Amino acid sequence: MTTQHAASTSASTPPPDPHDNIVQAVDVCKSFGDKKILTDVNLTVARGEVVVMVGPSGAGKTTMLRTINRLESIDSGEIRVNGELIGQRVNKHGKVVERSARDLARQRADIGFVFQHFNLFPHMSVLENVSLAAVEVRHQPKSKVNDYARELLERVGLAEKADARTRSLSGGQQQRVAIARALAMRPALMLFDEPTSALDPEMVGEVLTVMKGLAEAGMTMIVVSHEMGFTREVADRVVVMDAGTIIESGAPDQVFSNPKHDRTRQFLSKVL
Amino acid sequence: MKFDWPYFWESLLSPSPQFLNGLALTVIISVVAMALALLLGLVIALMGRSRFLPFQLFASLYIWVIRGTPLLVQLVIIYTGFAAAGIFRFEDTDVLGSLIKGAVQAAIIGLMLNESAYISEIVRSGLESVDRGQNEAALSLGMTPMHSMRRIIVPQAIRIMVPPLGNSFNGLMKSTSILSIIGVSEMFQVGSTMSAATFKVFEIYIVVALYYLLLTTVWTFIQTAIENTLNVRAGLPRAEPVFKRLFGIRSRKQTTPAPALALQPADAA
Ligand SMILES: Nc1ncnc2c1ncn2[C@@H]1O[C@H](COP(=O)(O)OP(=O)(O)O)[C@@H](O)[C@H]1O
Ligand SMILES: [Mg+2]
Repeated sequence: MTTQHAASTSASTPPPDPHDNIVQAVDVCKSFGDKKILTDVNLTVARGEVVVMVGPSGAGKTTMLRTINRLESIDSGEIRVNGELIGQRVNKHGKVVERSARDLARQRADIGFVFQHFNLFPHMSVLENVSLAAVEVRHQPKSKVNDYARELLERVGLAEKADARTRSLSGGQQQRVAIARALAMRPALMLFDEPTSALDPEMVGEVLTVMKGLAEAGMTMIVVSHEMGFTREVADRVVVMDAGTIIESGAPDQVFSNPKHDRTRQFLSKVL
Repeated sequence: MKFDWPYFWESLLSPSPQFLNGLALTVIISVVAMALALLLGLVIALMGRSRFLPFQLFASLYIWVIRGTPLLVQLVIIYTGFAAAGIFRFEDTDVLGSLIKGAVQAAIIGLMLNESAYISEIVRSGLESVDRGQNEAALSLGMTPMHSMRRIIVPQAIRIMVPPLGNSFNGLMKSTSILSIIGVSEMFQVGSTMSAATFKVFEIYIVVALYYLLLTTVWTFIQTAIENTLNVRAGLPRAEPVFKRLFGIRSRKQTTPAPALALQPADAA
């Protein structure tokens, strides 16, 4: 298994500088109990790149995504974000050890994560959800943060919902607030775990539109999704996972129309 | 039946100073023991959730022993047993200019230990009732686990915890009546002494019962107010009105929805 920047660009975007990698995962292994979930996963994502991860249920996509901001620890291998080991560091004896909770929190602040089930904070208003971390984690002045939060809500089409309770929103609206909440931290990287799969079909479009806008604005994104239309349109690269490994990676056109791997073909025949 | 009405009304409406002292002591012991039990209960609950095995074992053992033995026996062991064995004797101590009897200290410690085991279970299930995704969302925004606990988890768990904690306090106030066994002159003990001196046994214990009822009723009002404040702050409907809960009338519609979205176990492929 090698890292995949060979086929990482589509014709329309300039090739990313291979040394400007935001994410660099090398030989990542992870087990739950004695069940191997990730086996030697290698993944490199360049700044500005949009990578869409696909694969059958249980392939380890969610787990892989969660290791990138260390919501999940890894058993071996290493993951660097912005050049730093995530959640780990090398101590003065050259041993890899856990980072402190505070240090890990600092690293996570630069990585946005959008969950399948939104996970908005129900005891706060929409605006508070979006501005909370910038105020309390980044210690930015509240009035400035609120202005920016309103601007972000505007961008996701929810300016008029700033003072609403999260539970009064539809699923699609909640997910757009969740995206605004992640963006309020001005992250260098956004991770999306099936952001539309818990939504009613008529709400999928509004969330994908927001994500397309983000991709066009140059955000680095790793998206687990089975929205093939979206993938074709915005992905620089598609990564296919199966049984805990990356079995194929390439430009969407190439992977979709000329898959190299049988398992990819089987999987695509179900979702396309 | 002979019921001395004049004596009853007098005892009820203008209770003796000793009786009022007993009432005050009942309230003070209850409030102090509850406050300490909340702190200790939180510590035990956090130990139970810790990844450090000895903490977990200690918390389980503590809860098992305390909940598995009667309060009365615990009190007697702490106050009388420890002294008899020469382990520890509660002495009268001066605290902020007032003399606190050894028996009162033992009572507070005993009630605190007993109540904390139950409270830790309430706290634990309250914290667990908050969806795991809430913590993960907070962590992903760069909050530390402590920050997330304080700002995201506890504010949501409190709403779940207040009703059972309130019931706990209600029970605690009533169980102060067994403190007479270690010689604390709380309300029940004062009542016993009075009845022994006057033989107005029935009248006096009815008065004692009515004062306990007064305490628990006042508490029900306070508890309802707390629940309402928390519900309103969370944008939820108000709690059951006081008269309904006092008389055990519960409406069938659920007033508090499940705290957060339940996680679906499997992702759609
Ligand atoms: N916390 C966990 N404990 C045990 N097994 C888990 C846990 N999380 C995920 N798994 C298992 O790991 C495998 C991969 O899960 P996941 O990463 O969610 O796959 P995907 O997102 O591709 O559907 C599944 O078999 C799942 O049951
Ligand atoms: Mg998944």
